Amino acid sequence: MASIRPFYLTKYLRVIASTFEMTFRQTVKDAFILFAVLFQPLIIAMLALWMLKDKGGQYIIFVVIGSGMTGLWSSLLFISGNGITVERWMGTLESLVAAPTPIQVVVIGKNLANVLQSLGSMVVSYILVSFIFGYPLSIAQPWLFLISLIITVVSFVCFGIIIASLFILNPDVQRWQNGLEFPVYILCGFLFPIALLPGWTTPLSYLLTPYWAALALHASAQGTGTIANISFAWGVMLGYSILYLFLSKRLFRVILKKARVDATLSMH
Amino acid sequence: MFHSLLLNIRLFFRGAVLSYIALFRWFTPPAYLASKVIAPLSYMLFFVVLGTFATGKESASFYIIGNSVQMAAMSGIYGVTMSIGGDRWDGTLPYLFATPANRLALFVGRAAIHVLDGILGVFLGLFWGITLLGLDVSKTDPLVLSVVILITTFSTSGFGLLLGALSLLTRNIMFVNNTVFFLLLIFSGANLNLSLLPEWMQTISWSLPLTRGIASARKIISGSAFIEIAPLMGTEFLIGVLYILLGFLLFRWFEFKAKRKGTLEVM
Repeated sequence: MASIRPFYLTKYLRVIASTFEMTFRQTVKDAFILFAVLFQPLIIAMLALWMLKDKGGQYIIFVVIGSGMTGLWSSLLFISGNGITVERWMGTLESLVAAPTPIQVVVIGKNLANVLQSLGSMVVSYILVSFIFGYPLSIAQPWLFLISLIITVVSFVCFGIIIASLFILNPDVQRWQNGLEFPVYILCGFLFPIALLPGWTTPLSYLLTPYWAALALHASAQGTGTIANISFAWGVMLGYSILYLFLSKRLFRVILKKARVDATLSMH
Repeated sequence: MFHSLLLNIRLFFRGAVLSYIALFRWFTPPAYLASKVIAPLSYMLFFVVLGTFATGKESASFYIIGNSVQMAAMSGIYGVTMSIGGDRWDGTLPYLFATPANRLALFVGRAAIHVLDGILGVFLGLFWGITLLGLDVSKTDPLVLSVVILITTFSTSGFGLLLGALSLLTRNIMFVNNTVFFLLLIFSGANLNLSLLPEWMQTISWSLPLTRGIASARKIISGSAFIEIAPLMGTEFLIGVLYILLGFLLFRWFEFKAKRKGTLEVM
């Protein structure tokens, strides 16, 4: 990734596009993914709608966005997180690391497919609330919301690379996967403000990209944030994305060393 | 007759222990901590904070108790279903169906350790509720609460046995498990006052396990006597028995069909 010249860029984009297509075809029929992306957020949305009923109409869009974010995070954790590990299970990891295309490029394509697919969570929640429950829904600042959504996708794709790399490098970390789903729902304020949590947890929230994504999406959808606030969240997400890409470069160097020099990548 | 009874009891206990060990063979201490301690605690915290955000801090105990008892479903639904379905995925189902073993002892034995596991999970939830969230249990009769937890975990595991039998008919066990577990979050009343739900949903709620168990636990912790919850617990127990029988019938039907048509591992 160090020397991206136009030739490489075109080549990489082609790899990303074909990985995207392949991943999408594989996952779109997977029942676990259907659950994580559609059913779980839908059930959480229904539950939250009933629970937050007395909070008033302005919370309806908050529920739609928040439950959609739960789907985004769950799919990032369980699907993108397993992105490289799955290749190991299928016995294709060695071929991938031996190919001239950097493995990061392949992982970016896979994550992009997963993250875009999991945006379906929000669409499903929107349909449930708007058409089935009959609540009027509107996005207060549509352009800011759209930009927030695009930056969210970018930051989630980059965050997914780090998670997948850590999971492949250290299976002990992956064993924590089940324990990481709800803590992020809590710390990132998907369905309630983090001000309700003890003060010591706030720095932890700030360290998580999904928190800034939820902040930007909630604020632009509800119209409660200023452009300054929302663009600050964008800046943080983009900053984290650059940091993740930088870190991933180092992590992938270790992965490649394990695969090519030590030949220990498949030995866990 | 007596010898056969002893054999069946042995089969029940050995099957119970071995299926539990087989299911959790992948458990290392970090995986155990993540799946059995951190995940249930964080899921409980999420719904307690969401609930108190919605209705105020004074209603925290409603959510703490509801979600603690709901922990019974983690073992009762996921554990039991996977124990039954695991035989198919691990390729041991043909051996199982070839044995002359008593099917009821074999089938129900799959749930036994998960009932104990579920009880431990509920107590752990309540422990977190008391130590981290300030749940007041000063008016609680611990013995009666233990009976409520035992019966609720039993009935939830009975439901798990039915789902386990269903899991032999589908490839997507985890999809069924996950969907049922999350639907129970709505229907069991762990996070909602059931009167908020439409009538048809309330009818479903009262035909499921957990609903009466959660309602009873809330009453016992607020100081009610056993006599006040006895009818609820009696029905909860019967619901558990009914689900076990339905599950067993389905299990036997699956065995009969699979043997006749040679479709044991087709679906």
